[in-house]
Amino acid sequence: MTANGKTSEMVDPEIAVELSGVDKWFSILQVLHGVNLTVRCGEKVVVCGPSGSGKSTMIRCINYLEKHQKGRIIVNGTELTDNKKVIDRVRQDVGMVFQNFNLYPHLTVLENCTLAPRWVKGVARKDAEAVARAYLERVRIPDKADFYPSQLSGGQQQRAAIARSLCMNPKIMLFDEPTSALDPELVREVLDTMAQLANDGMTMVCVTHEMGFARQVADRVVFMDAGRIVETAPPGEFFSNPKESRTKAFLSQILH
Amino acid sequence: MDFAYILEALPDLMTGLKMTLIVSFLAIFLSCLIGLLGAVLRTSGIKPLQYAVTAYVEFIRGTPYLVQIFFIFYGLPSLGLRFSIFWSGVIALTAWASAFQIENFRAGLAAVGRGMHDASASLGLKRWQHSVFIVLPLATRAALPSAMNTIVATVKNSAYLQAIGLVELTFVAVDRIAYDFRAIEMFASICVIYLICVFTISGLGYMVERRLSRPFGGR
Repeated sequence: MTANGKTSEMVDPEIAVELSGVDKWFSILQVLHGVNLTVRCGEKVVVCGPSGSGKSTMIRCINYLEKHQKGRIIVNGTELTDNKKVIDRVRQDVGMVFQNFNLYPHLTVLENCTLAPRWVKGVARKDAEAVARAYLERVRIPDKADFYPSQLSGGQQQRAAIARSLCMNPKIMLFDEPTSALDPELVREVLDTMAQLANDGMTMVCVTHEMGFARQVADRVVFMDAGRIVETAPPGEFFSNPKESRTKAFLSQILH
Repeated sequence: MDFAYILEALPDLMTGLKMTLIVSFLAIFLSCLIGLLGAVLRTSGIKPLQYAVTAYVEFIRGTPYLVQIFFIFYGLPSLGLRFSIFWSGVIALTAWASAFQIENFRAGLAAVGRGMHDASASLGLKRWQHSVFIVLPLATRAALPSAMNTIVATVKNSAYLQAIGLVELTFVAVDRIAYDFRAIEMFASICVIYLICVFTISGLGYMVERRLSRPFGGR
């Protein structure tokens, strides 16, 4: 779990994401305190914790949407630094799905999916569209390709957003509370899509309160509180036999 | 009302209209460009530029338009900046409209949420790609209703330029009234002409608005 100051040349190719001693402040407010986390390739990690515990901030640090001030973050063997080129390259390998979908409202679902492959990777339009249609098929909205985001339900929008990320062929997928903005009856379809993705071997870091999903899909559950990782355990152990009192308190509040 | 007189005056009025349209379109075009640029500068986070743009907007908003026109036409020559009537008119109208367009586009930029930036960043889009493909169309769409308002006002405010002797629509009407005292005929006529211009522009605006709510097409 803990990092031991490896240099990037010595990075284990089996390790997808490594955070070591990461501190982050929003001006004077420290939101991450010495966070250590290693995610192996193909591993599915679910991050949970109370609101304000720093889970979203941590996951946003992994693709540098937030800058950390101390410690190291290594993604696919590349350490995140202020170098734009490095960040752009890392981001191409890391897909991200947001709570509010963040689809481009003025583009169709297909255009949402092809914009980045065409302009970032230089894929020809026809090829990008073929790939996009394949992924839309996979998230089960092939018939929505030519619709605008506003014409879709929340669940469909989130699945379109997942397809958009997958079109960049990422090695790692980050999910930042992907079902929190959805009506309850639409949560299932998004979780199913994510579970399917997990089955296909995608490396996933997922912030969510869906404990059923954590049980079903996660290799490990990480519990955060007040900017620290409090406890990490496989889901069976995490839910049946949590060690820390804060974990127990949290679980007693969300499991009924 | 003497329609025969209006018909007789029509060629003169058309000459005036032509000038109104030329000055207005120049000012509209320039003020939209300056408005977009100013809005970008005002939200750039570069403090001196932000203050400069804010000061400009406040100055234009805080002083009478007619005074600005006189300042440019009668005031600037004593500072060694002498422009023709035509260019004084274009500059005055552009200066006035730009201040409002800056604010319109600033509101448009503010309407593009942080989420769009997150999405583009996580997809690896470059800053310019995000600006051109995402921010520009979304900000324009959000700014359009108020920008159209300013565009319409720009056309109407070209009438003030008769005060420095620019031979535009209102000047022609006032000029003819001085000779023939046909005030009702002339003012009614130019009201109708202004209305036709404004309706045409508004119509175009609605068309663009509808177009922008569709995809970023044609690529």
